[in-house]
Amino acid sequence: MIIAERKPFAEIKAMVAPYKKILIVGCGTCVAVCLAGGEKEVGLLASQLKLALGLEDKRLEIGEITVERQCDLEFIKPLCDFTADYEAIVSMACGAGVQFLKQLCYLQPIFPGVNTSFIGVNEAAGYYTERCRACNNCYLGVTGGICPVTMCPKGLLNGPCGGTVNGYCEVNPEKECAWSKIYHRLELEGRLENIKEILPLRPHQRCATPGVVIHPAYKRRYGTDE
Amino acid sequence: MSKLRETLEAGKFALVAEVKPPKGTALDEMLAPVKSLGDRVAAFGVPDNEHARMRLSALAAGRLVQEAGGEALLHLTCRDRNRLALESDLLGAAVLGLENLLCVSGDYVTLGDHPQAKAVYDADSVQLLQIVRGLMAGRDSVGLELSGSPAFFPGAVVIPEAEPLAPQLLKFEKKMAAGAQFFVTAPVFDLEKFRRFRQGLPAQSVKLLATVKILSPEEVTLATSGQWRRVYSIPEKLVQELAAAGPEEFLGRGAEVAGRLLKAIKAEKLADGVYLKAQGRADLMEKVLEAAGF
Repeated sequence: MIIAERKPFAEIKAMVAPYKKILIVGCGTCVAVCLAGGEKEVGLLASQLKLALGLEDKRLEIGEITVERQCDLEFIKPLCDFTADYEAIVSMACGAGVQFLKQLCYLQPIFPGVNTSFIGVNEAAGYYTERCRACNNCYLGVTGGICPVTMCPKGLLNGPCGGTVNGYCEVNPEKECAWSKIYHRLELEGRLENIKEILPLRPHQRCATPGVVIHPAYKRRYGTDE
Repeated sequence: MSKLRETLEAGKFALVAEVKPPKGTALDEMLAPVKSLGDRVAAFGVPDNEHARMRLSALAAGRLVQEAGGEALLHLTCRDRNRLALESDLLGAAVLGLENLLCVSGDYVTLGDHPQAKAVYDADSVQLLQIVRGLMAGRDSVGLELSGSPAFFPGAVVIPEAEPLAPQLLKFEKKMAAGAQFFVTAPVFDLEKFRRFRQGLPAQSVKLLATVKILSPEEVTLATSGQWRRVYSIPEKLVQELAAAGPEEFLGRGAEVAGRLLKAIKAEKLADGVYLKAQGRADLMEKVLEAAGF
């Protein structure tokens, strides 16, 4: 899932300072799971803003709403009429959700309430770690289910760098070296042959931005059928 | 053919001394070893933004070393350039007369003095060696033909005390397969460990330059405090010997130790040469050579 962190309160407060009536829109999927932008976090931000501005004798009217997914038209379309009453919107979704919501609600300024961090996993309560860089050219079948692009800070494809110390990473001494792990995983599986061949340079054009994926069954509909 | 290549291929002991490109444009200190050591070394190593700290371009520094009468061993890091920049800098190196290359991945940016910079690593060191080989064969990395192809003597790095060693050896073999003609090791202080590594190498015939380094006072403090976290170890006896030296005699003592190591590596034929890291200082290099009986 997408992992995000709530933006610092002062930054959000400064962004909405020019407005008298704002809508905070939460997202009920990834950012809700990682406790950054779901319904609870929308409520928390609204209370914080009211309290802080109240102390300064300022008034801010705040609407709160959370949709299932801001990255899905089906869920944000019904928001259109609702948002018309507000001067500005704070979206607590990931960067994709913020932009998609803005595409629909183009009349008001929109502000992000979170910083989108990465694609990752929920290791334990409140503890999230990155697993995928969305490189659009998955190597996991070759590298024993451990991603060299993501788990090695240098994204090296052909083995460890020279900075590994006792199996730990040069960049973050608390993390195991991805290539030590890949090697041992493949050794256990009897598949070391996998990484003896030199992997060629990465095809970076596959992750040129902004990416587009059209499901094969829909190619005709979107006029991309060959 | 470069002097370094000629020396190694002739089976003679090759000495490479590392110069230090300045953080700025003052060149005297960087070029001092070239003037004072002259023909006593086969080449001068020219680091490329070493430890991810911004310094004078290695390409420019390498050329200046050659103009001063030395031969350069140009380091080329994958950290700071994408494949286009690597390839065009390689062609640039060739036309400026730089033949010896050390292809490295490069320390990560957050460890250096520009921690917010974007790390590139478009190629890794194995792929960079392949790029070098391709250019030598007259093709760039996408297979387009070159008008005039460069001549290089490409080398790479190996870490004798890597832990675990097996993944490091896997990469070592890939570097050989990609065209590395010689290897420079991480610093060697423990000759017994280095001996074992040399004996266990899958390719016995590979040309190896063992790095001999003069430690800084900060490094010795780190080693005595138990905070040492490097890819090489220092025997306790050596740490104590260096730690016992006063501030004035510290570097002199370090040079003596380096001289002893250099002498032993040559006498025992533990390597085909030595890569000397003496903080880029001509006076220290002279002391090391004197202590080694060169």
